[in-house]
Amino acid sequence: MTTIRIENLTRSFGAVRAVDDISLDIRHGELFTLLGPSGCGKTTLLRMIAGFVDVESGSISFDDRRIDSLPAHRRDTGMVFQNYAIFPNHTVAENVAYGLKARKVPAAEIGARVEKALERVRLVGYGQRSPHQLSGGQLQRVAIARALVIEPAVLLFDEPLSNLDAQLRTEMRIEVRQLQQALGLTAIYVTHDQEEALAISDRIAVLRHGRVEQVDTPERIYRLPQTAFVAEFLGSTNMVPGIAGAFDGNNTVVAAAGTEFTVRGEIAAPGVPVLLSLRPEALRLGNDSTGPLVQARLALREFLGPVQRLHATLPDGTQIRIAALGGQVFDVSPGAPLALTYDPAQIKAFPAP
Amino acid sequence: MKRFATIVTLAALVLLAVFLLYPLALVLDASIRIDGTGGLTLGNYAAIVKSRYYLGSIGNSLLCAALATTFACAIGIPLAFCLARIDIPGRALLLTLATLPLVLPSFVSAYALVLLFGHAGVVTTALRGIGIPIGSIYGLPGIVIVFTLTLYPYVVMPVLAGFRAVDASMEEAARNLGGSRPYVIRTVLLPIVMPAILAGGLLVFIEALENFGVPAVLAEDRPFLAVDIFKLFAGESDANPAAAGALSVLLIACTALALLVQRHYLGKRRFSTSARSAPAKLPLTPGLRLVATIVSWGIVIVSLLPFAAVLMVSFLRFRGPVLTWELGLGNYATLLSGSYRPLLNTLTLASIAAVATMLIGAPIGYVVARHRSRLSGLLDFVGMVPFAVSGTILAIGLIIAFNSGPVILTGGWLILVIAYVVRKLPFAIRSSSAIVHQLDPSLEEASINLGVSPAKTFATLTVPLMASGLVGGLVLVWITAASELSATIVLYASGWVTTTVVMYHAIEGTGAGLAAAAAAVLILVTAIPLLLINRRTGKQETTVI
Repeated sequence: MTTIRIENLTRSFGAVRAVDDISLDIRHGELFTLLGPSGCGKTTLLRMIAGFVDVESGSISFDDRRIDSLPAHRRDTGMVFQNYAIFPNHTVAENVAYGLKARKVPAAEIGARVEKALERVRLVGYGQRSPHQLSGGQLQRVAIARALVIEPAVLLFDEPLSNLDAQLRTEMRIEVRQLQQALGLTAIYVTHDQEEALAISDRIAVLRHGRVEQVDTPERIYRLPQTAFVAEFLGSTNMVPGIAGAFDGNNTVVAAAGTEFTVRGEIAAPGVPVLLSLRPEALRLGNDSTGPLVQARLALREFLGPVQRLHATLPDGTQIRIAALGGQVFDVSPGAPLALTYDPAQIKAFPAP
Repeated sequence: MKRFATIVTLAALVLLAVFLLYPLALVLDASIRIDGTGGLTLGNYAAIVKSRYYLGSIGNSLLCAALATTFACAIGIPLAFCLARIDIPGRALLLTLATLPLVLPSFVSAYALVLLFGHAGVVTTALRGIGIPIGSIYGLPGIVIVFTLTLYPYVVMPVLAGFRAVDASMEEAARNLGGSRPYVIRTVLLPIVMPAILAGGLLVFIEALENFGVPAVLAEDRPFLAVDIFKLFAGESDANPAAAGALSVLLIACTALALLVQRHYLGKRRFSTSARSAPAKLPLTPGLRLVATIVSWGIVIVSLLPFAAVLMVSFLRFRGPVLTWELGLGNYATLLSGSYRPLLNTLTLASIAAVATMLIGAPIGYVVARHRSRLSGLLDFVGMVPFAVSGTILAIGLIIAFNSGPVILTGGWLILVIAYVVRKLPFAIRSSSAIVHQLDPSLEEASINLGVSPAKTFATLTVPLMASGLVGGLVLVWITAASELSATIVLYASGWVTTTVVMYHAIEGTGAGLAAAAAAVLILVTAIPLLLINRRTGKQETTVI
């Protein structure tokens, strides 16, 4: 069990600030995800914790021990690499035993611990195989076993599932989460896949241009994004620019896309430009008159099985996406008018850039 | 990780400074001193510019290198194209044979030419016997022929790789857009392989400029830079170390300029064409295919013919310089009756040098490939300097540096090994850094992350992973050290005569049979290990070269 404290961490490559004054507190036994587009600094931050990238300024501590000047091989982290990094000249068991040997664990104990680690990742009986006889998913399990078996202070995952196909990826992320919870290890998980991050994290830090945009639980970060970037990066939201109108004590009216939207709270002074985030699932079809209405026209319907995605045109021509359940009967043809309703509390407004 | 890289880099730089830069600086220094008194002067250079002989020497060398480069490209590029794109019978074997001339000693090929077409050559006498006079092959024609036939693989290898790296879709796209086949070759294929052609061509140019053995055998009395430097430094009658120094500096300037041009050009043009699907073989009419087959096999066979001729001649009897058609092992008896020492020396020195070169080169190659820094960039550059320095010049520098003073190395075996190691180091660095480039860096990071220190990770993980490639490099260094002449001829001492030295003196004297036997031994000594690793490592061998 380890807490990790990162304070004012900075690292530049040439003129680019890959990590720009980041501070984070990661709790005992937490699976903490660094999420962001490529080039946001998430991998650099992870590699700084592992000791592969030097710290320019700031500090990293495990519990109360500063570790940022320790050489990489003395930091006691267990890292799972994107491309597995399984030693091709060693068997599966030798790969898993590698870190134990480096720690001078008695030989008798090594065998038992390797066996147990392979059992945990459901690879019993694979110990004597060569890595080239294993599939990608199995190799990734070996990599996880190799990192777990040393019982590191911190587990580090560097986009561990990005080389696997879609179905295996969703299976493996559950295994990773269950192992991490069962062992109670503190883990930092880097990914650019927002669904993966939402699915397994205790908390998520969204990074952009080397800075932290928001740190929160998956649900809060999805429902209550603090910046337009976070709203847009998590879930494919519709971003519509508009001008704030009067506040009626409860809601603010925003003129946008040739129509009007009602947003909960006083979001801005009248006349101030804003950006509205309309989640596709926050817009509902029909005139059940429980909320405000918006008139649109259907442009295109994508039927995806469990859900269907509707592309609609707002009065000024702005295209938006609406998510509906696949089972919902639908008989509007393209070009026909479409009535949309929503809950004002579900619309988020951000200051226009 | 950084500390390990820094230690390796600094150690390598010190080593190169002592055994490469310091001796070269002494050669430069000798070139600007007045012989005897030691005052500073540019007189040595002025003397060269005024001398028709030395100007001719420089001119001959440059002309010869330029012609050899042109001809090597002229046969190398079509051969590479045929190997890459035409279904030639026995392609795999042909490819292996095409690499052979690079590692077989080129002065043996030159000597074969003398045996066949020289003053008393087999073909010359035969033709003269039936009344057909034959022109002299001594001087420029012979030297250009030998360089072309022994150096063309330098063009074939990179250009072949270039042709193979062009993704099929690239050519298909050009054809789909309406380009005819010749148009596509001219506008898509050739521009893509141009950097490879240039890289190979410049290697031929530099090698031809520096080579000592071939002009030593074939130049007779015509002036050639590499030979004149040797004669001026070590000649019995007209020694003039200062003039040798000045000529050396000029030769290094020529090769360094060629290298810089190449680096500059290649730096701007790097097409990363990672071919997913190699382009298909060209559909040819049977007639055209036959022509391609004959031309490809013809080039390779002609280039290997001199070596075969030497092997055969070594089993014939000589009467003085004149060859007879009687079979016999007399030549070998003469070679070995003197002493087994030269052969033993060759094997010992090559073995020590090969192991030492790889032990020093592998960590350097690793650091250069993995840890880019200003210091490792400097090392990368200094490590390539031996490319631009001929063996003779390095040997002269080593003699000036270690003939007196606190460390005396001349007269022993160590100075020979040092010369071989320094000369072959660029090759060891290049081949090991190429292997390291293919290793995923996260493998080492995983090892370090699991608690193994960087130095130990290099020794216990990286080196074993590099092993198969390093063995290939080791054998090739061994081969080239065993057939080294240009530095050996300057540095050898009485106890450390090698087979190449025996052969050189036999050619200079009248021991034609002895020379043929020594040449045959050299061919066997170099060809057997090469064929062994070829079997072992299969296709890796081409990348090693």
